[in-house]
Amino acid sequence: MDRKSNQTGYLVLNEEGAVLSSSGELENDEKTANVIMGMINLTSQIDSVAFPPEEGFKKLSIVYDDHCYIVCLSNKKVHIVKKSIDNTDSIPVTA
Amino acid sequence: MEKHLNRVMEEITNQPGVYGCVLSDHQGLCLGAHGQASTESSGVITALAEQALKLEPKSVMPIISLENDNRQLIIRRHGVLTCGIYKSVCN
Repeated sequence: MDRKSNQTGYLVLNEEGAVLSSSGELENDEKTANVIMGMINLTSQIDSVAFPPEEGFKKLSIVYDDHCYIVCLSNKKVHIVKKSIDNTDSIPVTA
Repeated sequence: MEKHLNRVMEEITNQPGVYGCVLSDHQGLCLGAHGQASTESSGVITALAEQALKLEPKSVMPIISLENDNRQLIIRRHGVLTCGIYKSVCN
Protein backbone atom coordinates (compact mmCIF):
# COMPACT_ATOMS: atom_id res chain seq x y z
CA MET A 1 0.00 0.00 0.00
CA ASP A 2 2.99 2.26 0.59
CA ARG A 3 4.04 2.10 -3.03
CA LYS A 4 0.97 3.57 -4.73
CA SER A 5 1.88 6.52 -6.95
CA ASN A 6 1.64 10.00 -5.40
CA GLN A 7 0.43 8.51 -2.13
CA THR A 8 1.56 10.46 0.93
CA GLY A 9 -0.15 8.41 3.63
CA TYR A 10 -2.83 5.87 4.41
CA LEU A 11 -5.11 4.73 7.20
CA VAL A 12 -7.02 1.48 7.63
CA LEU A 13 -9.89 1.60 10.15
CA ASN A 14 -12.30 -1.02 11.43
CA GLU A 15 -16.07 -0.48 11.30
CA GLU A 16 -16.01 1.35 14.65
CA GLY A 17 -13.39 3.80 13.38
CA ALA A 18 -10.41 2.43 15.32
CA VAL A 19 -7.05 2.67 13.54
CA LEU A 20 -5.80 -0.77 12.44
CA SER A 21 -2.82 0.42 10.44
CA SER A 22 -1.43 3.68 9.16
CA SER A 23 1.55 5.21 7.42
CA GLY A 24 3.12 8.45 6.15
CA GLU A 25 1.29 11.73 6.80
CA LEU A 26 -1.68 9.84 8.24
CA GLU A 27 0.33 7.82 10.75
CA ASN A 28 -1.82 7.38 13.89
CA ASP A 29 -3.97 10.30 12.70
CA GLU A 30 -7.05 9.69 14.82
CA LYS A 31 -8.44 13.14 14.13
CA THR A 32 -8.66 12.43 10.38
CA ALA A 33 -10.10 9.00 11.19
CA ASN A 34 -12.85 10.53 13.36
CA VAL A 35 -13.75 13.22 10.81
CA ILE A 36 -13.99 10.70 7.97
CA MET A 37 -16.02 8.24 10.07
CA GLY A 38 -18.37 11.16 10.81
CA MET A 39 -18.76 11.75 7.07
CA ILE A 40 -19.37 8.05 6.35
CA ASN A 41 -22.07 7.95 9.02
CA LEU A 42 -23.77 10.94 7.39
CA THR A 43 -23.89 9.30 3.96
CA SER A 44 -26.60 6.88 5.08
CA GLN A 45 -29.04 9.81 5.31
CA ILE A 46 -28.50 11.18 1.81
CA ASP A 47 -31.40 11.91 -0.51
CA SER A 48 -33.40 8.73 -1.07
CA VAL A 49 -34.97 10.23 -4.22
CA ALA A 50 -31.71 11.03 -6.00
CA PHE A 51 -29.70 8.17 -4.52
CA PRO A 52 -31.71 5.01 -3.88
CA PRO A 53 -30.58 3.66 -0.44
CA GLU A 54 -30.17 0.12 -1.80
CA GLU A 55 -27.41 1.33 -4.16
CA GLY A 56 -25.21 2.84 -1.44
CA PHE A 57 -21.84 4.46 -2.07
CA LYS A 58 -18.57 2.92 -3.16
CA LYS A 59 -16.15 5.79 -2.95
CA LEU A 60 -15.84 9.06 -1.06
CA SER A 61 -13.33 11.64 -2.26
CA ILE A 62 -12.36 14.89 -0.56
CA VAL A 63 -10.43 16.93 -3.09
CA TYR A 64 -8.24 19.97 -2.33
CA ASP A 65 -6.19 21.96 -4.86
CA ASP A 66 -3.00 19.92 -4.52
CA HIS A 67 -4.00 16.79 -2.63
CA CYS A 68 -6.98 14.57 -1.93
CA TYR A 69 -8.32 11.90 0.37
CA ILE A 70 -9.89 8.80 -1.18
CA VAL A 71 -12.04 6.64 1.09
CA CYS A 72 -13.55 3.25 0.33
CA LEU A 73 -14.98 0.36 2.27
CA SER A 74 -13.63 -3.13 1.68
CA ASN A 75 -13.68 -6.34 3.73
CA LYS A 76 -15.44 -4.52 6.62
CA LYS A 77 -12.56 -2.08 6.81
CA VAL A 78 -12.38 1.60 5.88
CA HIS A 79 -9.39 2.41 3.68
CA ILE A 80 -8.29 6.04 3.53
CA VAL A 81 -5.53 7.14 1.17
CA LYS A 82 -4.05 10.62 1.05
CA LYS A 83 -2.62 11.47 -2.36
CA SER A 84 -0.89 14.48 -3.78
CA ILE A 85 -2.33 15.70 -7.04
CA ASP A 86 0.23 16.26 -9.72
CA ASN A 87 -1.59 18.53 -12.17
CA THR A 88 0.80 17.65 -14.99
CA ASP A 89 -0.57 14.08 -14.84
CA SER A 90 -3.91 15.22 -16.21
CA ILE A 91 -2.39 16.43 -19.50
CA PRO A 92 -2.69 13.57 -21.98
CA VAL A 93 0.47 12.70 -23.84
CA THR A 94 -0.18 12.61 -27.58
CA ALA A 95 3.08 11.46 -29.10
CA MET B 1 -33.28 36.49 -5.51
CA GLU B 2 -35.37 33.37 -5.78
CA LYS B 3 -35.72 33.80 -9.53
CA HIS B 4 -31.96 34.12 -9.86
CA LEU B 5 -31.38 31.01 -7.73
CA ASN B 6 -33.90 29.06 -9.77
CA ARG B 7 -32.15 30.13 -12.97
CA VAL B 8 -28.75 29.03 -11.60
CA MET B 9 -30.19 25.66 -10.50
CA GLU B 10 -31.78 25.20 -13.91
CA GLU B 11 -28.45 25.94 -15.59
CA ILE B 12 -26.71 23.38 -13.37
CA THR B 13 -29.34 20.73 -14.05
CA ASN B 14 -29.04 21.31 -17.80
CA GLN B 15 -25.38 20.28 -17.77
CA PRO B 16 -24.65 16.86 -19.31
CA GLY B 17 -25.28 14.00 -16.89
CA VAL B 18 -26.70 16.21 -14.13
CA TYR B 19 -30.15 15.14 -12.96
CA GLY B 20 -30.63 17.22 -9.84
CA CYS B 21 -29.22 19.86 -7.54
CA VAL B 22 -29.86 21.24 -4.06
CA LEU B 23 -28.79 24.56 -2.58
CA SER B 24 -28.70 25.13 1.16
CA ASP B 25 -27.60 27.86 3.57
CA HIS B 26 -25.02 27.59 6.39
CA GLN B 27 -27.64 26.19 8.76
CA GLY B 28 -28.62 23.45 6.36
CA LEU B 29 -31.91 25.07 5.46
CA CYS B 30 -32.97 24.46 1.89
CA LEU B 31 -32.81 27.41 -0.50
CA GLY B 32 -33.97 25.37 -3.45
CA ALA B 33 -33.97 22.01 -5.17
CA HIS B 34 -34.22 21.32 -8.88
CA GLY B 35 -34.62 18.17 -10.92
CA GLN B 36 -34.62 14.75 -9.27
CA ALA B 37 -33.55 15.92 -5.81
CA SER B 38 -35.52 16.43 -2.65
CA THR B 39 -35.36 19.47 -0.37
CA GLU B 40 -34.83 17.13 2.62
CA SER B 41 -31.23 16.39 1.65
CA SER B 42 -30.07 19.99 2.18
CA GLY B 43 -29.29 19.42 5.88
CA VAL B 44 -27.13 16.36 5.21
CA ILE B 45 -25.26 18.12 2.41
CA THR B 46 -24.41 21.06 4.69
CA ALA B 47 -23.45 18.65 7.51
CA LEU B 48 -21.08 16.80 5.15
CA ALA B 49 -19.48 20.09 4.05
CA GLU B 50 -19.10 21.17 7.72
CA GLN B 51 -17.53 17.82 8.60
CA ALA B 52 -15.07 18.03 5.68
CA LEU B 53 -14.04 21.49 6.84
CA LYS B 54 -12.80 19.93 10.11
CA LEU B 55 -10.34 17.78 8.16
CA GLU B 56 -8.06 20.69 7.31
CA PRO B 57 -9.52 23.86 8.84
CA LYS B 58 -6.74 26.05 7.41
CA SER B 59 -7.17 24.88 3.81
CA VAL B 60 -9.74 26.13 1.33
CA MET B 61 -13.04 24.26 1.29
CA PRO B 62 -12.58 20.96 -0.58
CA ILE B 63 -14.87 19.38 -3.14
CA ILE B 64 -16.59 16.31 -1.73
CA SER B 65 -17.59 13.54 -4.08
CA LEU B 66 -19.61 10.42 -3.28
CA GLU B 67 -19.81 7.80 -5.97
CA ASN B 68 -21.22 4.43 -6.84
CA ASP B 69 -21.26 2.64 -10.19
CA ASN B 70 -24.09 4.73 -11.64
CA ARG B 71 -24.32 7.98 -9.73
CA GLN B 72 -22.23 10.72 -8.23
CA LEU B 73 -22.97 13.43 -5.69
CA ILE B 74 -20.64 16.46 -5.73
CA ILE B 75 -20.74 18.88 -2.81
CA ARG B 76 -19.07 22.28 -2.80
CA ARG B 77 -19.41 25.00 -0.22
CA HIS B 78 -18.89 28.60 -1.20
CA GLY B 79 -19.23 31.13 1.62
CA VAL B 80 -22.53 30.42 3.35
CA LEU B 81 -23.94 28.51 0.39
CA THR B 82 -23.60 24.76 -0.06
CA CYS B 83 -24.43 23.17 -3.37
CA GLY B 84 -25.07 19.48 -3.97
CA ILE B 85 -25.06 18.25 -7.58
CA TYR B 86 -26.38 14.80 -8.51
CA LYS B 87 -24.84 13.33 -11.64
CA SER B 88 -25.19 10.06 -13.46
CA VAL B 89 -21.89 8.39 -14.30
CA CYS B 90 -21.39 6.81 -17.72
CA ASN B 91 -19.10 3.79 -17.66
